[in-house]
Amino acid sequence: MNTLRLYARSAAMLMKSQLQYPASFLMQTLAQLVMEGGEMMAVILLVDRFDRLNQWGPGDLYFFFGVMSVSFYLTECFGRGVTGAFPGMVRTGQLDTLLLRPRGVLTQVMCSAVDPRRIACIAVGTVSLVLGSSLARIQWTALKVLLLAEIFLCSFWLILGLFMVEAVLCIHSVKSVELANTLTYGGRSACQYPVDIFPRPLRILFTVIAPFALVMHLPASHILGKPLFGWPMWTAFAAPLSGFLVFGMMYLMFQHAMRFYRSTGS
Amino acid sequence: MRAYLSVFRLRRRLETQYRGAVVGGFICQVFFGLILIALYRALYAGKPQPIPLSRITSYVWLQQAFFRMLLASDADLMDKIRTGSIAYDLCRPVHLYSFYYVRILAQKSTGSLMRGIPMIILAFLLPEGWNLSLPASLPALLTALAALLLGLTCVTALENITMAFTMRTLDFRGMQALLNLLMMTLSGNILPLTLFPDSWQPVITALPYAQLLDAPIRLYTGEYSPEQAPGILLLQAGWILVLVLAGNWFWRRNQQKLVLQGG
Repeated sequence: MNTLRLYARSAAMLMKSQLQYPASFLMQTLAQLVMEGGEMMAVILLVDRFDRLNQWGPGDLYFFFGVMSVSFYLTECFGRGVTGAFPGMVRTGQLDTLLLRPRGVLTQVMCSAVDPRRIACIAVGTVSLVLGSSLARIQWTALKVLLLAEIFLCSFWLILGLFMVEAVLCIHSVKSVELANTLTYGGRSACQYPVDIFPRPLRILFTVIAPFALVMHLPASHILGKPLFGWPMWTAFAAPLSGFLVFGMMYLMFQHAMRFYRSTGS
Repeated sequence: MRAYLSVFRLRRRLETQYRGAVVGGFICQVFFGLILIALYRALYAGKPQPIPLSRITSYVWLQQAFFRMLLASDADLMDKIRTGSIAYDLCRPVHLYSFYYVRILAQKSTGSLMRGIPMIILAFLLPEGWNLSLPASLPALLTALAALLLGLTCVTALENITMAFTMRTLDFRGMQALLNLLMMTLSGNILPLTLFPDSWQPVITALPYAQLLDAPIRLYTGEYSPEQAPGILLLQAGWILVLVLAGNWFWRRNQQKLVLQGG
């Protein structure tokens, strides 16, 4: 609990500092809005031309896009320390100072950066969710709301875990390893669409290795009333927990890698 | 002239130094290409379009191969503007616009050749339905190559204008993100321009962004016939002229009222 309070306080502080330059903040937030809006436009144009994608209609596709967009940018907003700032910390040796303090390294990394500009992307994602929900005529029940909340919670840890692949490699190699981001950004681009449209190798990749399908698509398909793979309802609640599993594994690897951390000394 | 040539050579050397980054970028690009093609294949399975699928797959691979051309590349120059060390460049006895034009041209051409050639070879070898098809005809290939060269000069001129904006605003991130997004969307990287609504085609193909990669690719796949080629090359040349003149004017204005960052 203490850790959570610490995080909340530093996040509030960082937000405040970013808002000190309102014009710049506004400009960058606007840029983010246009960026994510552009991504959404691509989906709209595809729907306009092709009407549907296998069994999925326009509403379903907007809903899937919204789920990915909100989850991904919530992570980028609150987990900025891991998703963006970490390689720089290793390169400049800033990480050394974190080793001196009486808190876990990862906690401090998480507390070191937030990115409130992403609120714009989250807004686009929300619009897409609402649009998808009304087009697909989703009958909302308490259970479905709970499921949606679980999607966001679990995908936060999943995506954070995937970004930690880069962090771990970075501790070993100092240079930021962009290749590691293939899985995160590639996953975002691919899994805006339900996983069953992809050929088998990609489907396995996004179910077993980077389980976007388990954390997002399976529960979302139940909300839409078109269960993916025909799996029953309880799996929709159980599968997203794999997000915690990925994070847990990466957490252990991170701790292991930190034992080999050598400062760049600058 | 010799000065610009040596700038070109130096930058080309620098660009070839980071081989690890090239391999990483390459794998990333191939992965994205495969994802996009898988998506378009699924879409086509549901509702075939008048444009054959093989043209779309070729479009995706050529976009991925020359992705480096679109990417804003000169982080070095951004830093110079932000920290004020651009003052040193102002002292050089060169025409500043041309100096940066050559720098960016060298980076973009070397970077995209290094990634593009292996990617094109790989894309040819992929199985039918996923691969890059052969050019529509020999004239199509030749005109596409000419258009690609013009596209390269065009994108360099565009980036120089982005740089000029940066000098104005200092906080480059907002403006740059906007211009980059326009570039990625309207040049057909996020979604092939051929898949945009048909009623938009006359407008989007006339914009400068379509001259970078979209025009060469359409010539390659036979979307534009070789008879149309002169008109397209002329349009490209026209945009290059406009963009270079505008960029030159912008840089001159900037130099006249330049406020340097100290510290």
